[in-house]
Amino acid sequence: MKDILNTSYPLFESFKNKLKPKRSQAQMALSQVNVFSRLSWQEIKIVENAIHIRNYAPGEPVFKQGDPGSGMYIIMEGCVGIFLDIPQQAPKQLSKLGDGDFFGEIALLDASPRTAAATALENSTIIGFYRPDLMDILKTKPALGGKILLALSEVLAVRLRSTNGELVKVSRKLETALESGTNE
Amino acid sequence: MSNNDLVTIAPQSVRLFHQSLFKTLVYFFLLILVLAGAYKAFPLVVDALFLIVIAAILTAVFNPVVDRLESSGLRRIYGTLLMFGGVFGLVALGVVKGIPTLLTEISRIKDVIQQNAATESLDAIMGNLNTRIAEYIPGFQLDLDLISSLSSQFFSQLGSVLAGALDTLATIIFILIITMFFLVDGKRMTKQLIGMVPNKYFEMSLNIIYKTKKQLTNFLRGQLLAALGVAIQSFIGLTLLNWIFDTNISGVLLISTIAGMANMIPFVGPFMGMVPAIIVSLFNNLGDPVAASHFYYILHIVGMFLIVQMIDNNIISPIVVSGSMEMHPLTVILLILVGSQMGVLGMFLAVPAWGISKVVIQEVYQGLKGHHLI
Repeated sequence: MKDILNTSYPLFESFKNKLKPKRSQAQMALSQVNVFSRLSWQEIKIVENAIHIRNYAPGEPVFKQGDPGSGMYIIMEGCVGIFLDIPQQAPKQLSKLGDGDFFGEIALLDASPRTAAATALENSTIIGFYRPDLMDILKTKPALGGKILLALSEVLAVRLRSTNGELVKVSRKLETALESGTNE
Repeated sequence: MSNNDLVTIAPQSVRLFHQSLFKTLVYFFLLILVLAGAYKAFPLVVDALFLIVIAAILTAVFNPVVDRLESSGLRRIYGTLLMFGGVFGLVALGVVKGIPTLLTEISRIKDVIQQNAATESLDAIMGNLNTRIAEYIPGFQLDLDLISSLSSQFFSQLGSVLAGALDTLATIIFILIITMFFLVDGKRMTKQLIGMVPNKYFEMSLNIIYKTKKQLTNFLRGQLLAALGVAIQSFIGLTLLNWIFDTNISGVLLISTIAGMANMIPFVGPFMGMVPAIIVSLFNNLGDPVAASHFYYILHIVGMFLIVQMIDNNIISPIVVSGSMEMHPLTVILLILVGSQMGVLGMFLAVPAWGISKVVIQEVYQGLKGHHLI
């Protein structure tokens, strides 16, 4: 009986494969991002209809420091460098992001200027999901929009907690340094 | 360099010169062909653009309704069909009920103006009015010929506009079909169009389109709501005048609709809305001594429209119309003068068209500035 169950039947396998839903590369990339990871495939498909897939050449800026923030980016293929422009100095590379990485998600909530620049380091295919797209989803699919907003708030909460932790560490270090300074 | 070299270089440069001359001539010829084609196709392109612009404006008006229906779980296509069903129903009701009454009313008033007998009674009325006016403003005289020709022009223009609208029913249907496509597939179309924008301008373009669309929707919705407000108030006001003072104003619904639509033109619009009511009151009450003793209710009508304007300017407009329509009175007058070159429709569309262009220009400028491109 076990043998019968474990045997693979080519016709059945082919039928099973045909029934299996085909996921696009963009859908797979979106499902990896924490903002969309809890959405159903049906919902991810709606988000896929809203996103913009863009191609960047090496050295081409995705956005510049100081530009008004409009949305987030997810790297489908390629490599993007995050740079900090320092006056009268060469831009300082803060990080290098690759396939599946994402950046700029806070700009979905807030149009304040970008704090760093993002530049493609090689030929890259990047998904852009912008505030107008989110607003549109919120207007036409409020339940889905709410889920995305909740996930974004969670990202913000995690960042805030981690920033608080860092702040406590720094203030402790500062206190210790001040105390040792007074003792000396 | 030997003489032989010079001999080989010379024909080469000549050949190159000929090649470039040939290329230039071909490009010149192609350019002329393109320009000639564009000149020939220009009216068609302008017509198509006009239809697309009207459809885009209608899309901006209807989009919030379809969005609302979609958010309630209805598929976008069904939401669009439902909304169109409702609009068609209302328009059909308006056409069936309103157009015959309107055309009869127009031809009746035109006949009255053109008939000599009526003009004679008008002479009597004008004489009476001028005597009464002279008691208050010495030397001021109303000219009958001027009023008669103005009234005649107004109604014949209105008639021709309506007749034109009926003639171009096919165009209207075509515009509605384009609007339907825009409503169902507009987002995909916009996405494909914006996909062609270079990366450098992409974020900025997306923001500009979003903000402009939002502003345009708010602006049009505000204008339509304010027009509806004025139409409803005028309807109530004229009905009250008929009821309380027995002013005998017929076609109240039509006059209110004209007043509402004319209200979209600032400063001049309210007066344009007042004119048909005064004319109808004047012609409906010819030979009535009570009406004559009340100046044919002209002051009542003017007073009623002034109250409507006060309510509109101080309560309705500030609530529903966004600030994008703020214009200098001189700009409005100039725009209406320019628009009048294209007839009544031009006068009607000049101010809203400028308002929309202003919003687009403002957004593009702010977008370019925000992205440090200017």
